[in-house]
Amino acid sequence: MKATLESGYVIHTRPWRDTSLIVEFFSREHGRVSMVARGAKGRRSRGGSSAALLQPFTPLQCSWSGRSQLKNLSACEALAPALSLAGERVYSGLYMNELLMRLLHHEDPHRVLFDHYAAVLALLADGASSEIPLRRFELVLLEELGYGFDLACDGLSGEALDDQGWYHYHEEHGLVEAPPGAAERLPRYRGHDLLSISRGDFSGNARQSAKRLMRQVLAAHLGDRPLKSRELFKRPD
Amino acid sequence: MSFSPLIEQLVESLRCLPGVGRKTAQRMALHLLERDREGGVHLSSALAEAMEGVSHCRLCRNFTEEELCSVCADTRRDRTTVCVVESPADVVAVEQSGSYRGLYFVLMGHLSPIDGIGPEDIGLDLLQQRIQRDGVSELILATNPTVEGEATAYYLSELVRGEGIKISRIAHGVPLGGELEYVDGSTLAHAFSGRKPME
Repeated sequence: MKATLESGYVIHTRPWRDTSLIVEFFSREHGRVSMVARGAKGRRSRGGSSAALLQPFTPLQCSWSGRSQLKNLSACEALAPALSLAGERVYSGLYMNELLMRLLHHEDPHRVLFDHYAAVLALLADGASSEIPLRRFELVLLEELGYGFDLACDGLSGEALDDQGWYHYHEEHGLVEAPPGAAERLPRYRGHDLLSISRGDFSGNARQSAKRLMRQVLAAHLGDRPLKSRELFKRPD
Repeated sequence: MSFSPLIEQLVESLRCLPGVGRKTAQRMALHLLERDREGGVHLSSALAEAMEGVSHCRLCRNFTEEELCSVCADTRRDRTTVCVVESPADVVAVEQSGSYRGLYFVLMGHLSPIDGIGPEDIGLDLLQQRIQRDGVSELILATNPTVEGEATAYYLSELVRGEGIKISRIAHGVPLGGELEYVDGSTLAHAFSGRKPME
């Protein structure tokens, strides 16, 4: 398979041999692609090496070829300078990248997710606060990967959520009504907040509920290993 | 054809070296056996001694077999300035430049959530203790100019913000002898934002 100048972002790189890199690339048309950038860390006679380009948060166009899962990067150019995510926003970028690395399958295109990812990066680079864009990104990610569920309906009964009711998240059914009394042990969410989230409104308590809900839903799909980038957000004592 | 167990064991062991595959390991093993037995014996004893004896410097975490590495033990160096780098190879690079007379702190990595490396894995608690205890007045953040290196530098700067010390980040820009035409856009942008008045 050969791909020519496909737009995308580097999600992660790791060193390989002395001067090469293995690059995880999130492209719009092909989804996540792993490739070897040969000699990327080597010194060229003039200017820098392509390792400078192959950084996360830089809009790139890459060409690659190869039949196996690991492709060969043949060319790479920047469409625009790297987006500069100042301060804590870089943690948010790393968080999105970790989610993509953990949940995307190879060569499974997700154009909607890609466009959303690029939009969130642009927002972060503009200095927007990261929490609500991250929640929206998580919702789009779940939807695109087929883990989506209806935020406005009870997954078992199919009825619309009651504004005053309490609901649990269930991996198979989505949101189900919490039986009265037994609810204390499991995380539960107010119907009012869930309905707000389904309308894309994260004001008031909905913001906190969305954070708890996304954390619970993502944990169900991530397996045993927790997300490492969350540690960065913790305030050091 | 397969080798006898001892040779096979040697070939497999050599493969733990970076960039050494089966073929290269076989070549190395046969070379030592055929032509350089003395070198091989010397290598094995040096390897055993180093693996046994080398640990981390108590102050900077760099590799050393003493309690303090040669830099930290040198009383002529400026003990109030600490330069934070990612790897022992970075210490060597800065030392070779001959432009720095302070001490170091070696993280042995950078924050990289995808690789599972968080703040605790790069010894930041040790650095924080050292700043509070040893009267450090300036911290120079010399992590690599990569996204992870920048994230590490930012995390560090937040960590020590309340300590009342000067925190600086090394400059990024155009390499000496380079030509602007061939420098990538991001580096050039850094070079412009970090420009200095002519004196």
